[in-house]
Amino acid sequence: MDSLEQVFNKIVADYSERLFWHVRRMVNSHEDADDLLQDIFLKIWTALPSFRGEAQLYTWVWRIATNETLNHLRKERVRAALRMQSVDAEMERRIEADPYFNGTAAQRELAKALVRLPEKQRQVFVMRWWDELSYEEISAITGTSVGALKASYHIAQEKVKLNLSELDVSK
Amino acid sequence: MTKRNDISVPQDYFQNLEQRLSRIPHQEVRTTTFQKVSPWLAYAASLAILATVGGFVFRKAAAPVQEDYSWDYISYLSRSVDPDGMVELEENADLTDEDIVNYLLADNSISVELIAEANYEEDN
Repeated sequence: MDSLEQVFNKIVADYSERLFWHVRRMVNSHEDADDLLQDIFLKIWTALPSFRGEAQLYTWVWRIATNETLNHLRKERVRAALRMQSVDAEMERRIEADPYFNGTAAQRELAKALVRLPEKQRQVFVMRWWDELSYEEISAITGTSVGALKASYHIAQEKVKLNLSELDVSK
Repeated sequence: MTKRNDISVPQDYFQNLEQRLSRIPHQEVRTTTFQKVSPWLAYAASLAILATVGGFVFRKAAAPVQEDYSWDYISYLSRSVDPDGMVELEENADLTDEDIVNYLLADNSISVELIAEANYEEDN
């Protein structure tokens, strides 16, 4: 029987890179993603003794990561509102100034277009488009029905296309 | 649009990340003062809410039954916004004809002749 620490190390080995990319796409900052990933794995470690196995480990780990990411974004939104600033504008500024960004202008615009989506819609889009999770997997993680996810993804896709077509970079 | 990874990471980042994350079980979990006292704060807040709501319910239950003045208040409001003030005059049974004539005379738009004519029509 594996000790908790062994299980935890396996989770780190199996999921840290994949979850980093998810979080990185959501927060648009390498440093914030790094900090948030520490918090996520600390939460996983703390909650691991209470993991009963009702859900798959995969689903459970992703659920913690996506919830923590949404909480982080909500806190950012509140902090920005208290400073009378727009969190979307701050995210766009981050994308513009990101030293780790090495994509094309079109990819930069795609990142900015994603920022303009509501957080949950953005999350579904990132999970489907970038993380390449199936609708069934996203459904198990978020607790949203496959039908609702498909609708949400379609709406997000249309909004992104619209934003990109205005900039003529959708091709 | 092609889905090429457009974001890079520092060299050996994922190797270092894995090492850092693997140290989590050996780290002392930092607990802030707020986290320590938050269960007690939640308990105190629940008691305060219970006391406030309970007190309100008790006062409401113990209070003697009062007449419902809501209709009077609505009536008062409707009278106070009536532009001519006529509703108030009609509903106030204590007013005499003389009071009404004086009120109308005070209003410059109504002449003595008009009031006399109205009285004549009423008498006939």
